[in-house]
Amino acid sequence: MRAQTLTEKILLKKVNAPILPDSEYFRIPVDLVLGHDATIALLIERFKKIGKHIWDPNRCFFAADHFVPPSTPERADILNRYLSFVKQESVPEDLLYRGISHQLLVEDRRCQPGMVICGADSHTVMAGALGCFAAGMGSTDIMAILLTGEVILSIPKSIRVTMTGKMPSWLFGKDIALEIIRRIGEGGSVDHALEYHDRTETSISIDSRFTISNMSVEAGATNGVFVPDETLKRYIEQRDAAAKVSESVNLDSFESTWLQPDEDAEYARQLDINVEEIAPLVALPGNLSRIVPIDEVEPRPVQQVFIGSCAGGRTEDLAIAARLLRNRRVAAGMRLVITPASQTVYYECLRNGIFQVLAEAGALITNSSCGACGGIDKGLIGAGEACVSTSNRNFRGRMGSPDGLIYLASPAAAAATAIVGRLTDPRPFLDESGIENFHSDPWPKTLGAGGAL
Amino acid sequence: MIITGNALMMGDNVNTDVLHPSQFFSLDDSKVRTGFMQAAAGYEKVGSSDLSGRIILAGDNFGCGSSRETGARVFLLAGVRAVVARSLARIFSRNVRNLGLLAAECPTLPSQIHDGFGVKIDMNKLVLEIPAYGQNFPLTRLDPFWEAVFKAGGLMPFLGFKDE
Repeated sequence: MRAQTLTEKILLKKVNAPILPDSEYFRIPVDLVLGHDATIALLIERFKKIGKHIWDPNRCFFAADHFVPPSTPERADILNRYLSFVKQESVPEDLLYRGISHQLLVEDRRCQPGMVICGADSHTVMAGALGCFAAGMGSTDIMAILLTGEVILSIPKSIRVTMTGKMPSWLFGKDIALEIIRRIGEGGSVDHALEYHDRTETSISIDSRFTISNMSVEAGATNGVFVPDETLKRYIEQRDAAAKVSESVNLDSFESTWLQPDEDAEYARQLDINVEEIAPLVALPGNLSRIVPIDEVEPRPVQQVFIGSCAGGRTEDLAIAARLLRNRRVAAGMRLVITPASQTVYYECLRNGIFQVLAEAGALITNSSCGACGGIDKGLIGAGEACVSTSNRNFRGRMGSPDGLIYLASPAAAAATAIVGRLTDPRPFLDESGIENFHSDPWPKTLGAGGAL
Repeated sequence: MIITGNALMMGDNVNTDVLHPSQFFSLDDSKVRTGFMQAAAGYEKVGSSDLSGRIILAGDNFGCGSSRETGARVFLLAGVRAVVARSLARIFSRNVRNLGLLAAECPTLPSQIHDGFGVKIDMNKLVLEIPAYGQNFPLTRLDPFWEAVFKAGGLMPFLGFKDE
């Protein structure tokens, strides 16, 4: 048998003949379907007209994260239709209002290495960090899966990305993701898989890996998968020791297969990245075609900093922000919006004092939802405003007015910018705060539960 | 299969957020329709105008970004006949094809085609004809699966489901 990439291994294990003669497309059984209030709502009426039920509600991983809580009566109506559908179809309800679907997925025992996961949202690719095939799709594709349990896909070729070196304290998954997009281009991996090999000295943290896999789709990739290793094993063991799913879900059939790519697998392209050679990067407003070192950008005034989303609202992101903002305040007039990626992240930051530090520094902390990143609510920008964001898209109008400007940067750069009020290189702030080995201990216990409010 | 219409040219890396900003996300088709191209600089007016009979031509990676299907559905609501780009983003190309619209790739498509020029897509001969240019551009053959989906009128009818 021909040597296979990790994506080929996961998918080809499940398929037989192509769907039609001479076609490159196969029917592939799906292990888990991710959905949320916005994109599932789009298919409900059509689904009802077909008059069938979901093939296996237990395989549906449905969150409520877009219009949560709703900011308009129309959105309340969309959310309510979705909630009724979830109930009618007997889909597990334990994920509703728990945070952003993509983060919930990787926090959950139902998501295991080797699975085929399709989701009604482009950032479903994030689960690739757990060694899954995870791909985003539109509502019609998802409806077909809900009806049949299968997705019709071609098997993508892979681009191998090998990361080496030692992570500096000021470098984050966001910088690495931007470096990859800078090198291969915004559409550089369309119809391809990105296969990530972490060969760095101390290994890239799982939170940063989530960001890298999350942004695979910004380079056009079908999926972005990390090769399973010890770091993943430790994460999964810890995660699964604490049961997080409702008793109504039977976990027996959610099996993992710890696959590895063949050594002599064929890749469409290979990309080597030494993390020590990356400077803190920023994506200039509009699209992802202009990614530059932050110290080469004019330090323009910034009115809002957003630290949140499925790309940049995890504990690691909020911890570096809190460490830089500790005993400091945001610049006068600065709107610092913090949106944790899940309510679990929210509780963790409550417990360990990160939120107290951020609140004292002047941050506005929201519940976990898609919020400002999706241009939905709680942090939209107006004409002429500039926002530095840890989210994944800087597209025109994405976060509000088409005449607002969105810069994407790491949580460290975002926090430094919040302090100064201008686009700011985070490195001097880490030095000044004496932060040396951030990645080995992001929030030392000695920091306690913050100061007194 | 042959489709004719008038060209509307867009650029490279045109994402679904500019084609259909999230503020226009709705279950109400008339609201969805009003959002077409409302964050695409210079296209706001044409996006609001009657686009029936238009063929959207575009550069590389057309439709990158969000999977929100309102961003594909709006092409049908606006009366767009087909989409031809130098290359198509994966999720978007699936979305429009699943809804029964032709989305084809034309790797040598020039960057500037005059607005309103007559265009003929000939999927039998696999050429894009632009008579005013006096030149034909080769189209990439659709996979037999997508050909069958197009002939059926979308993914649901292809699978034998009646959703409308």
